[in-house]
Amino acid sequence: MRHTAALPVRIVFCVFLISGFAGLPVPAESQNRYTLNGTVKNGDDGEILIGAYVVVKELKGVGAASNAYGYYSLTIPEGKYTLLIQYLGFRMLADTVLVNRNQTLNFDLKPEAIRVGEVVVSGERSDEHVTSTEMSANKLEMREVRAIPALLGEKDILKAIQLLPGVKSAGEGNTGYYARGGGVDQNLILLDEAPVYNPSHALGFLSVFNADAVKDVKLMTGGIPAEYGGRLSSVLDIRTSDGNMKEYGVSGGIGLIAARLTVQGPIVKDQGSFIVSARRTYADAFLHLSTDTTINRTSLYFYDLNAKANYTLGEKDRVFLSGYFGRDNFNYPDVIGFNWGNATATARWNHIFGDQFFANTSLTFSDYSYANTVGAGTNQYVITSGIRDLNAKMDFQYFIGSHNSLKFGFNAIFHTFYPGAVTSGPSSSTNTISLENMQALENAVYVSHGVELYPALFVEYGLRASTFSLIGPAHLYTYDSYGDIESITQYPSGKLFQTYASLEPRFVATLLVDEDASVKASYNRTAQYLHLLSNSTTTNPSDLWVPSTNNVKPQYADQVALGYFRNFEENAYEASLEVYYKDMQNVIDYRNGADLQLNPVVESLLLYGRGWSYGAELLLRKKTGPLSGWVGYTLSRTQEQFDEINHGQAFSARQDRTHDISLVLVYDASATWTISAIWVYNTGNAVTFPAGNYWIDGRLVPYYTERNAYRMPSYHRLDLSATWRLGERSSLNFSIYNVYNRMNAYAIYFRQMKSDPTKTEAVQITLFPFIPSVTYNFAF
Amino acid sequence: MNTIPPAAFQTPAKLGLAVLCACMCLSCEEVINVNLNQAAPQLVVEGVVTTQPGPYTVTLTQSGDYFTPSLDFPPVSKAFVLLTDDVGDADTLREDLPGIYRSSRIMQGIPGRTYGLTVVAEGKTYGAASTMPVKVPIDSLFAVQRHATGTDPGYDIYLFFKDPPEPGNYYRVIVRVSDPLIPSDSIDGRRYRLYSDKLTNGNEAGYRVRARHTVVKGDTITVDLLSLDKATYDYYRTLNDILTSDRSPTSLSPANPNTNLSAGALGYFTAYAFDRKTVVLR
Repeated sequence: MRHTAALPVRIVFCVFLISGFAGLPVPAESQNRYTLNGTVKNGDDGEILIGAYVVVKELKGVGAASNAYGYYSLTIPEGKYTLLIQYLGFRMLADTVLVNRNQTLNFDLKPEAIRVGEVVVSGERSDEHVTSTEMSANKLEMREVRAIPALLGEKDILKAIQLLPGVKSAGEGNTGYYARGGGVDQNLILLDEAPVYNPSHALGFLSVFNADAVKDVKLMTGGIPAEYGGRLSSVLDIRTSDGNMKEYGVSGGIGLIAARLTVQGPIVKDQGSFIVSARRTYADAFLHLSTDTTINRTSLYFYDLNAKANYTLGEKDRVFLSGYFGRDNFNYPDVIGFNWGNATATARWNHIFGDQFFANTSLTFSDYSYANTVGAGTNQYVITSGIRDLNAKMDFQYFIGSHNSLKFGFNAIFHTFYPGAVTSGPSSSTNTISLENMQALENAVYVSHGVELYPALFVEYGLRASTFSLIGPAHLYTYDSYGDIESITQYPSGKLFQTYASLEPRFVATLLVDEDASVKASYNRTAQYLHLLSNSTTTNPSDLWVPSTNNVKPQYADQVALGYFRNFEENAYEASLEVYYKDMQNVIDYRNGADLQLNPVVESLLLYGRGWSYGAELLLRKKTGPLSGWVGYTLSRTQEQFDEINHGQAFSARQDRTHDISLVLVYDASATWTISAIWVYNTGNAVTFPAGNYWIDGRLVPYYTERNAYRMPSYHRLDLSATWRLGERSSLNFSIYNVYNRMNAYAIYFRQMKSDPTKTEAVQITLFPFIPSVTYNFAF
Repeated sequence: MNTIPPAAFQTPAKLGLAVLCACMCLSCEEVINVNLNQAAPQLVVEGVVTTQPGPYTVTLTQSGDYFTPSLDFPPVSKAFVLLTDDVGDADTLREDLPGIYRSSRIMQGIPGRTYGLTVVAEGKTYGAASTMPVKVPIDSLFAVQRHATGTDPGYDIYLFFKDPPEPGNYYRVIVRVSDPLIPSDSIDGRRYRLYSDKLTNGNEAGYRVRARHTVVKGDTITVDLLSLDKATYDYYRTLNDILTSDRSPTSLSPANPNTNLSAGALGYFTAYAFDRKTVVLR
């Protein structure tokens, strides 16, 4: 089974490789060409800069961007040139070089001061928005993330990305998000290349990403490059800071619900550095003030820790070690306790072969687990579940010439699924139960070539070939149409079985229409072999990840997108209009009343269907100057169809919100004040309401007819924030959430009227009205 | 010595959210107007056979409009209602009151037997079957004074019974205080107290089934232990999900309870075994 499936993949892959290389343009032979390479860094703290531009002033349209490790390589004809090195928020560096041999040039950029009344220097801003072979991708500026208002003052990356077009929140104040109609489990969230399976703290109200430890955030909802795979709908690539290479520093903040502290500094100056960032909430401190002995022993908190170290071993090698550990704890004494969290670890080695060949090798570990404690005394029992990954990957980048580079690599993940176990004491009335663990191997190889095909036509085309196999020991079940077991097959230890293989083409083309505008088109196919089962539509502490099996097929998505990109005012304003269509196969829903926890036949409760989403996204963004921010508008529709739901009729997905508007403004008003505002508007979620009532067993029961046939009221909200810098070392941030106190509907439910229990009334719950908060931040 | 049933921990988000909101005093509620579509009336069947002596009753009504007064659901009269068992008995039920049909031949439910129900109403035929499980007796029932935690003093009522050795046993517990007709087995009077042996198979287990009202000296506590088949347990469980939905936008879409009735009828038909114990607080 496995060999027959894998062989055609290999053949196609080889054919692809050959045809790909055959298409590489041959360099002009009349002139000698030399390669410049090196690293772009922040001159103040030695932090590498991701996506910095090295542009040749004399050669129009010739330049290179630094990769995720700050490395660039640029091959140009012999001559004397002025190199312009640009990075947003940094002063442009101009360097005159005589290119007559291959050489390594490292650049240190200096951060700009607060840009008050800045005079716009033309040519300083990058036109990457228009010229790059990237679409449906957005980079978050951490400066903006830190400046924009936040609920209870807690700056949150996952809430900031929800302000981008095409991304929708899973609920008020929730960190779960939907990307172009995809589910919350279809987002690949990478923290230093390690997948994070449950990115939420505090039951979804905060994310696990401590903004103090994060350097770079990039979200891709379409045109997903071949090096990423494993999830259908989006990639969120989060890179943490490397730590200050020059000097030691301590910074932190104290807010209403949490405190943060970061320590960083050189291990050896300009060679190695470390950073440790920690955070803990203390909202439950108030519970201890209660006189109630149950409440004052109740705990409700989380903490997390990010740590990273890196070291440069000569010109060609650099190693990084990074880790994350976070835990949530919620304990209601003698009744119930939840403890859940993620741990990730990454070891990376960058190596440069020659001047044009960059390699990264990463080993990552990722773990999500929870333990629920139920009851008290001898009858107490603990339910545990989780998932663990070991991942080895290598990525190569070959910089052939200007606008000509090749990326390829592989990725092998060993997954272990812990579907659930119960442990209890010897005298407990609860039995010790353990569901069978599952093991799986997920492999992928990819190749991708970016090239200027004709003048002004740039393409990035690639292919990812992935396989997924279960590894014994395991039992597979087959079920009849009622969900009852038909047969059981046993597989011995170490045997690979139930292999799936997928070819995932990826393609983006950019055609420059004129100096300031381009048209881009993309297609990508993505495969997802892991599935989230949850009794919630967003991430939840009891999330259960399951592998593809004989019953659960891999999910596939095909997406096409077309966009018009245009810059205005010397690249000061970036505008884009994209339209997309996405089709998703084998998406999962549940039989009614599915009991997902500790269920050995959980697959019998699943339903498989189709989803599709299409829409238009408009974005106008300004990244530089004292006033920055964006306006985003999304018009979209998302539907699903399952044979067993809604009589087989297609229905609107819950996240189908026709209109979605986000306005984000950050204004540096003076050297001491930064003011920011967010306004959001969206059509209400599709919801299921009853269409009748009946009486059963002495209870008045609602009667449901159609899935998601109703709409919640539309949602809108304005948040404001002001940051007041108290000198060099500290600042105060004031935030107001929901400034005009809009009573947004978090949920609508129905209840019997108190005055007349024979009648029913609809009740709207509002979660967050007007909420002010203040946070103190410091740095030494 | 108390065991929380598995059903209670399935919505940590609900519990956590409640605590979070209570801490922050943030959430607020208001009554709003919602326009709902009107569904065509649907037949509602409720039929019960137990180990208590009959006659057994099958009630037929129709669903009604959501917001209109809803205690008087229209009864469905002149239906053909047939109750059968798997040893060859068949009993055509007589309509005593409008929509209420009573048995006359099958008058004693027996564990192990499978009972069938056929209803022909307004030209459509509906059917269901339910197998009566073995009767699991209550071993003991007692009350202990509750620890004075917070402002809710009172008694804890404990129920003990031994689950049979083979897996697949399901239970419902009904608690009544003083008046044996008024169930008060939950916080809001609508919630079901359901147990399965998924985690406790074959064990003697104690369950705290504290009553809704603060129970005081002199009160009589009556506890019924119903042994259910899986279909009935699933019906009550999914009905309970609807009645106690955590109302959050992230909870799964609600749907009608999983019924054992065919042809789209609402309601359920069950054959359950029954045991009762009473304790008087002195």
